[in-house]
Amino acid sequence: MHKRISRLATAGIAAAAVGVMLAGCTPASSNTTEDGKSKVVFWQQKFEDYQQDWFKAQVAEFNKSQDEVEVELLVVPADTWDQKLKAAQAAGKAPDVKTTSYGNVKPMQASGQIADLSELMDADAFDDIAENIAPFVTVDDEVYAYPLLVEPSTVLFYRTDLLAAAGIDAPPTTWDELVDDARTLTTGDVYGMNIGQTAPDLGWSSWGLQYNVAGDFPLRGDWSEASADDPAYEDLAKFYQTLYAEKLMPQEATYPYADCSFFGEGKVAMSACGSWALGQLSANPDWAGVWENTAVAAFPSSDGDPTAPTSTLGGWTLTVDAKSKVQDESAEFVQWLLADDTDRLVDFFTATGFSKYPARVSVTEALAATPEAADNPFLATITEDIVPYAKAEPSYPWDVSLAFATSLEKAMRGGDIPAAMSEAQAAIEDVIKKQKLAGTGSD
Amino acid sequence: MKASLGRRVATYSLAALIVISTTLPLAWMLISGFKGRNEVLRTPFQFFPDVWMWQNYAAILQDPAFLQSMALTFAGALLFTLLSLVVNSIAAYAFARLDFRGKRFWWVYCITPMFIPGMAILLTSYVVVSNLGMLNTLAVLIIPGAASAVQMFFIRQFYLNTPLAIEEAALIDGAGRWRIFWSIFLPQSQGVFVVVGVGSFLAYWNAYVWPILTIQDPGLQQIMQYIAGFRSERGNEWGLLMAGSTLAALPTILLVLIFQRYIVNGVRLAGMK
Amino acid sequence: MTMSPQSTNRLATAASVALEPETTAPARKRRRGVGRLSTHVMDNRTAYVMIAPMVVLLGIFVWWPLLYSFYLSTFEISFYEEPVFVGLQFYGYVLEDPDFWHSIGIGATYVLYTVPAIMIIAFLVASFIRTVGRKVAGLLKTTVYVPTVVSAVITSVVFVFMYRADGGLINWLIGFVGLGPFAFLSDPELALPAISVPGIWLAFGITTLIMLAGMYDIPQSYYEAAQLEGANFFQRTWFITIPLMKNVLLYLLVTATIAGMQQFELPLIMTQGGPTNSTMTPNLFIFNQFKDPTPYATSFSLTAALILFFVLGGISMLIFRLIRSDKAIDA
Repeated sequence: MHKRISRLATAGIAAAAVGVMLAGCTPASSNTTEDGKSKVVFWQQKFEDYQQDWFKAQVAEFNKSQDEVEVELLVVPADTWDQKLKAAQAAGKAPDVKTTSYGNVKPMQASGQIADLSELMDADAFDDIAENIAPFVTVDDEVYAYPLLVEPSTVLFYRTDLLAAAGIDAPPTTWDELVDDARTLTTGDVYGMNIGQTAPDLGWSSWGLQYNVAGDFPLRGDWSEASADDPAYEDLAKFYQTLYAEKLMPQEATYPYADCSFFGEGKVAMSACGSWALGQLSANPDWAGVWENTAVAAFPSSDGDPTAPTSTLGGWTLTVDAKSKVQDESAEFVQWLLADDTDRLVDFFTATGFSKYPARVSVTEALAATPEAADNPFLATITEDIVPYAKAEPSYPWDVSLAFATSLEKAMRGGDIPAAMSEAQAAIEDVIKKQKLAGTGSD
Repeated sequence: MKASLGRRVATYSLAALIVISTTLPLAWMLISGFKGRNEVLRTPFQFFPDVWMWQNYAAILQDPAFLQSMALTFAGALLFTLLSLVVNSIAAYAFARLDFRGKRFWWVYCITPMFIPGMAILLTSYVVVSNLGMLNTLAVLIIPGAASAVQMFFIRQFYLNTPLAIEEAALIDGAGRWRIFWSIFLPQSQGVFVVVGVGSFLAYWNAYVWPILTIQDPGLQQIMQYIAGFRSERGNEWGLLMAGSTLAALPTILLVLIFQRYIVNGVRLAGMK
Repeated sequence: MTMSPQSTNRLATAASVALEPETTAPARKRRRGVGRLSTHVMDNRTAYVMIAPMVVLLGIFVWWPLLYSFYLSTFEISFYEEPVFVGLQFYGYVLEDPDFWHSIGIGATYVLYTVPAIMIIAFLVASFIRTVGRKVAGLLKTTVYVPTVVSAVITSVVFVFMYRADGGLINWLIGFVGLGPFAFLSDPELALPAISVPGIWLAFGITTLIMLAGMYDIPQSYYEAAQLEGANFFQRTWFITIPLMKNVLLYLLVTATIAGMQQFELPLIMTQGGPTNSTMTPNLFIFNQFKDPTPYATSFSLTAALILFFVLGGISMLIFRLIRSDKAIDA
């Protein structure tokens, strides 16, 4: 008995000692640099090389331009971004400023993670945001993210030489045409088409097509009811299934959707890729032969209606952390970088090879005035045929998109379509219940 | 006993088969590193390149980020190995040779972590190291994993089997426990230290998830982060990637070859009667 | 070590414990009369100083995080708003989540694909090494150990390359027997078996060495006697080797099973859990739950990890019991 008590006491003391040590060793997170400037930590998700270069140069210039604030730039790889961010938030070490996709702005706002920029930045900074983009970052008249760029997630890339050789004189405008063309274009070495094929990729790359075929997403309205059982989605599943089952597209997910290498390597005649692929394709000297024969068009609509959305307008913003101790300084940096000088952004968009598009009216105008823009053969197609009809990314939790995409992938790989869709329906209903989504939807 | 010719041929062929199939992936990695862009994925398939190119290896070896992460990982792994040997061996000695109050309790306390999966404490360990101000320092890679139940157990098994007579004589001569540990136990620990030390080195060198979570500073990038990053960013440059992987795996393979005698016998050490 | 859930480390555990499966060492020491000094001195102070570094480090980096995890799992965690106490609600959510159970099933299937293969290959190779001359044995022992030291990251990268449908080594090899090409990692039927191959490759070498150590402990005279009576290889294996190595084999079985259930880095890098979640192992499922920026995802992931810990703990406890009771019978 005595022995047991002393053992418990020892354990208690040990636990207490550890607790004290942890508490004692907790340093207050430092928001000032050694020379007394405010320190703003900025996490940039890793994108194409030129983007890192641009951000790096801008941060250096900002740091030189004044002596109050020092921005510390950290480039974080995309594949581990979410886990890193979550861990940092758990530890109270979230970055003061970070790149945030449009789709994440509203969920982050809803859980109180990001600061209201309309209180931190000059009001006229917001007037310049394009009318169709402002709603992506606005909740109840408060702006929670400052947009940098937009990029349509689904654009049809095609090889003029291969289409001509196969006797196809124009890119397809309906899904049926696309499938027919893909059949014609598929030869021994080349697949007719390429499109996303893994659930994590389909989760976002098929948003536009989901909207196109059913006129809405599988979770609608105020998010109280799942709509994955909308029969229209069966056509979408059929579309993917046909392309895959008839081997009209690569059978192996060698590259993720965001990487347009299948097309660049000449392995496919047509490909769905994001507009950013223009930057990737033009930059690779090995692909010069393909690049000469590359053309883009709006992705076909299921029934051929060119004004129906087939793409979402993805893109990136900067947000300021709700718990940041240097919110004013952070906002100052965001304003300096994104909301002031148009030249800074014109440089950026020129560097993208016109594969991404400004979110500010004045930047769009300034960019259009450059000689490079006038020479670019793709700019008009994307800004006139695609961007105006593209939808905003849905702001419901990723779980919903992933559940739907998992079913889509199952169907694509030969699964029974109605069964797959009812699985998605059940999975989304479960998300609604457990994450208490009912009534929180805004559109 | 002389084996018949047929038997010897069979033995050698079987041995050769085992060696070839075990090393095939590594050989393939090495060879592919010598292939140019046009050869690395060519159809029809060809095992050896037409032209052996050094360029991939040269390019990797000229990449400052690669050299830096190799050097840093090497230094970190050495420090980690040293620290874990110190921490685990003295605890192993105490548990093997000393009697003290609460020994059973502390034994359970020290050995149970063997069964706690890293995933269950990933987030909260992160919070702890962050509160201790260890993020983005080599310390976060070296200190948290240094105390290892597995290694302590292993070393303890070895010490348990060390004959007692010398220790008793030393005690009677008035030597303290630390002296005994230092002058009697350490000198004969060489073999077991090599085995657990190589284990520590490998655990550090090959770690991936913990470094990606705790190290953001590109200047502190560890070698497996480098390889994984390379793969996700330049995934279609297979020749380069294979050359990089070969070079990144080389130190661990050399380690095995250098210490092979200890290791292959080492798994028996703890069981020596 | 706790930070890198890698099979190598798990198997190092096997190495130490398999060779000395009896964890109740004090009793044995006393029996042999080697442990307790005649002086009967309690070395409290020295002992505490000696174990202090280990106790403190484990306290800070294992025990505290573990307790903290349990505490947090009773909240819907938000790092921005006041966390909401929800009791055991998330335990319920995890237990009724079909995706969680699906991932457990994938983990179990992976174990089924890898563990018997590892055990059988290792046993055969070890038996073979035992019969060859010293030089060849030395070469083989070193060779089979080499894969153990290659990291899961590098292994994943190399096998992704080898599995490619266009120009991959494996499709070329199976082409000789008229099969393929297969898109191994993009086919839901083939992806998990395909990931099992590097899993086996990484683990069979160390398993072989441990088995070999066990075999060397079996007195040669047993085999000689059996041979005199005309027992062939299979009879000798069945009646001598296996019964005498029961503890080692059982222990290897357990650790390989536990390690297999926790396989994480191979699918993370090779397939990200796809296609159609066919390689979504439990730990990868848990890791991926971090994706959402919602409080729900954080709590769910944390709780699922703890439940997995119980499941695995249960398995190891059970088999430890088994080994120990077995030992008692042997003695």
